[in-house]
Amino acid sequence: MPIRILSEEVASQIAAGEVVERPASVVKELMENALDAGASQVVIRIEKAGRRLVEVADDGVGIPREEIRLAVQRHATSKLETADDLFHIRTLGFRGEALASIGSVSRLTLTSRSAKDKSGMRLIMEGGQIKTVEETGAPAGTVVRVEDLFYNVPARLKFLKRDLTERQQIDALVTRYAVAYPERRFQLYHDGQVTLQTAGSGDRREVLATLYGIELARQMLEITLEDGDMRINGFISPVSLTRSNRREMTFFINGRWVQDVMLSSSVLQGYHTLLMVGRYPFTVLFISLPPEEVDVNVHPAKAEVRFRQPDRVFGAVQRAVRRGLLAYSAPPPITTTVWRGSPRQSAAVPPMIDPAWEMAAETKTAQREVSTVPSVTQPNLPSGQVPLLRLLGQIGATYLVAEGPDGLYLIDQHAAHERVLFEKLLSQSRGDVPTQILLEPVVFQLPPHGAQLLTEQLPLLTRLGFDVEPFGMNTFRVRALPALLTKSDPVAAVRAVVEDFEEDETPLQAEQEARLIARVCKRAAVKAGQALTPEEQSALLRDLEACQSPRTCPHGRPTMIHLSVDLLERQFGRRGSR
Amino acid sequence: MKVSVSQQQLAHGLSMVSRAVSPRSTLPVLANVLVATDDGRLRLSATNLEMGITCWIGAQITEQGAITVPARTFSDLVNQLPNELVHLDLNASTHTLNVRCGMSNTDIKGIDAQEFPPMPVAAPQEGVPLNVANFKEMIQQVAFAASTDEARPILQGVLMTAADSEVTLAATDGFRISVRKAALSEPLPVPIQAVIPARALQELARIAADGEQVMTMSVPSGRGQVIFHMKDAELSSLLIEGNFPDYKAIIPRSFKTSTTMTTAAFLKACRQAEIIARDGNYVVRLNILPGETEPGKVEITAQSEETGFSENSVEAAIDGPGLVIAFNVRFLREVLEVIKTPSVVLQTNANNTPGMIKPAGDENYIHLIMPMHLG
Ligand SMILES: Nc1ncnc2c1ncn2[C@@H]1O[C@H](COP(=O)(O)OP(=O)(O)OP(=O)(O)O)[C@@H](O)[C@H]1O
Ligand SMILES: [Mg+2]
Repeated sequence: MPIRILSEEVASQIAAGEVVERPASVVKELMENALDAGASQVVIRIEKAGRRLVEVADDGVGIPREEIRLAVQRHATSKLETADDLFHIRTLGFRGEALASIGSVSRLTLTSRSAKDKSGMRLIMEGGQIKTVEETGAPAGTVVRVEDLFYNVPARLKFLKRDLTERQQIDALVTRYAVAYPERRFQLYHDGQVTLQTAGSGDRREVLATLYGIELARQMLEITLEDGDMRINGFISPVSLTRSNRREMTFFINGRWVQDVMLSSSVLQGYHTLLMVGRYPFTVLFISLPPEEVDVNVHPAKAEVRFRQPDRVFGAVQRAVRRGLLAYSAPPPITTTVWRGSPRQSAAVPPMIDPAWEMAAETKTAQREVSTVPSVTQPNLPSGQVPLLRLLGQIGATYLVAEGPDGLYLIDQHAAHERVLFEKLLSQSRGDVPTQILLEPVVFQLPPHGAQLLTEQLPLLTRLGFDVEPFGMNTFRVRALPALLTKSDPVAAVRAVVEDFEEDETPLQAEQEARLIARVCKRAAVKAGQALTPEEQSALLRDLEACQSPRTCPHGRPTMIHLSVDLLERQFGRRGSR
Repeated sequence: MKVSVSQQQLAHGLSMVSRAVSPRSTLPVLANVLVATDDGRLRLSATNLEMGITCWIGAQITEQGAITVPARTFSDLVNQLPNELVHLDLNASTHTLNVRCGMSNTDIKGIDAQEFPPMPVAAPQEGVPLNVANFKEMIQQVAFAASTDEARPILQGVLMTAADSEVTLAATDGFRISVRKAALSEPLPVPIQAVIPARALQELARIAADGEQVMTMSVPSGRGQVIFHMKDAELSSLLIEGNFPDYKAIIPRSFKTSTTMTTAAFLKACRQAEIIARDGNYVVRLNILPGETEPGKVEITAQSEETGFSENSVEAAIDGPGLVIAFNVRFLREVLEVIKTPSVVLQTNANNTPGMIKPAGDENYIHLIMPMHLG
């Protein structure tokens, strides 16, 4: 093919691709424009996860009548004059590209009135072409309606994820900006229903409470650190409050949400040794720096930045987090204490020796040493049932030791209990499930996307024996639990359903059910480090024996390690190791 | 330190404090007991930082001093010694405690007493006398209803409120509530409200003597601690912070049906039902059948797919309409085990509202259980 200059239409669609990837990117650009315009209120209306409509209305400065056409022109911005300004950016926008890009891949209606004008203007653009510009009455401020996104770029449309995922992206975005700008009022509607709303009082903890629930907001630790012209402030979760993924570590640099692995790992270093493996904190940190210290012009969607002195920033973040944690950890909390720590917790405190840990470590070494013999790490037993076991005891408050006709069994109590609960709940969900009613219904709140997920799962939860119902915006009420789970925290058990959901999980219905049950069981099962009475230990063994697949937990980890008589004999040199 | 004490008293003291020892701690000194001379007596203390227990025993002291020694080793040894005088002699420079008794002579390596965490002390003026006929029984009737779930710390506690001449203990795990009141022989100068870990109270019940016992309680302000002081022993515990649920609002004002049964018969029927019910989520059904002409009865049934079916009847005096209601049999059994009166009353309204159990003729104890529901 000969080299050809692209038509303007194609060229602008390519450019748009970098800025506008999905409905959430549109929301981000429009929301940032509204914030740049000094809006005190930002109302976002979404229809069909943004495929049908993204509308952002603000009460900011508006666009002067004569500039309305410029606003949608590429490289037209009111925010930057000289190239030098690029190094002192104080606004969220600066490239003059967003509206033009969005306009080229949708039907865009821009209505705006600047406070000094008597009447406003309305501009309609379709696929990058201005269709009409007319005078209109309008309140001061700007409304941007983006309809039928990607209608003229079917290839892009195909790349959109299912509605739930797109909605989640939007919710996560608006939630974060609402926290970052507590003095502005945010409202988010999905298909006419309000799903997020903040008061604009300026109190950030209050915003956290409305969006993430009072309980979480109450526990969050507020931190600040000043280092010359750099300032870090925000909220971090205490070590007792963790998440199973890194997504809840949020950073704003000079008012802009950025994603940066180095920042996340600085936070994690701040928590170093205080969190269990696989658990992550919940943090929202705001870093302000002189504009010339950050280069925001490195990523088309501005989601990444470059620091002039990266180590200084990362070091400060780590220090701020560490200091915050230490400052607040004064009285030992009554529940999560290191001194009665499970082996895993105490492993984090290496210099002192915890007998419990030593014990667990011993079994670990034992395991390691013998692992040259393949039958240990890969139990070569039939995958079916286990033989009748005789309980010998519990070690390290984490493992049960039992004897079978064919040798010794070490059983991970948590994994085993997960398996037991899982099979019981699963089989019950097909018949009558006895439920235990709570004395008092418990009310709890989820962030919008969690609420959405939970709502979708309500019928299944009901079949499992939960009595959960919607109770206002993003709020739910638990009235009863499956009788099997009465030893666990009702809210935690329900939350488990939505907590760890990965973005794109779209399994088949049956599989989904199993996964969901597995999630709940993981939460409800006895933990490692929990001392069990001899009765509880033998009940667990009995229940495990009765399981259909007793050898693995619902997540596929082994529940037991088998040391065969044969292996023991060889290890002790009673029989030559051929 | 040079002290002589009776083997029996020493063994008893060690068994008392040993429950606060935390053998699995990352701080080695917490696996030890503090042995120290204290104002003419020998003091033994152990703590896991959450709860501490101290007891004092009479001793002949020839030289003052203090040391901590591994609790397990020391008490195992003392338990084996003959019932004679035990001579404790500390070599302060090597932190070694020599234990001599009869023909036996043992050296135990210890850790400097300086490393032992300071035990909370109550200022004498802060204590309030807690003169209750049977505080121990009160604890036994309430503490078991607290939650064991570490995720809900506040429910792991027992709410103690005391004002004027009445003290109340209450505990709940979200499914049941136990509330016990008692009169104080002397009115309190200041009201008290505190959430005490149920585990600490259970230990207190264990070390307290049966029957009447003079006990003072202090909640030093701002320290988040409670200290129970008895004649020869003291137990301190961290308090649990947070809002205890407003249990009073949950207790129904009135009930439609009152069912009076013999406590022992009801308990026995529950225990039998539990054998079958434990394989079926602990569900038992109570069929409350008021009799027209003959006396009424309650049929207690349990069913489990694997194990089978069981039915027991208990005679009952029933006032009000009949009802079928399901409960967790473990909850029923646990409350019946702490009710001391010969008869017990079960009060109910409907199969989805709480049932209340109380000793017949005793208004000071109530226990509320939320029913179960069969899907
Ligand atoms: N909500 C609004 N209120 C007032 N003016 C607006 C609003 N939205 C856009 N504008 C005006 O239109 C111009 C173009 O907006 P656009 O988002 O395309 O570019 P930008 O914000 O300047 O830069 P960027 O491409 O980085 O977002 C802005 O510079 C601003 O002057
Ligand atoms: Mg912009």
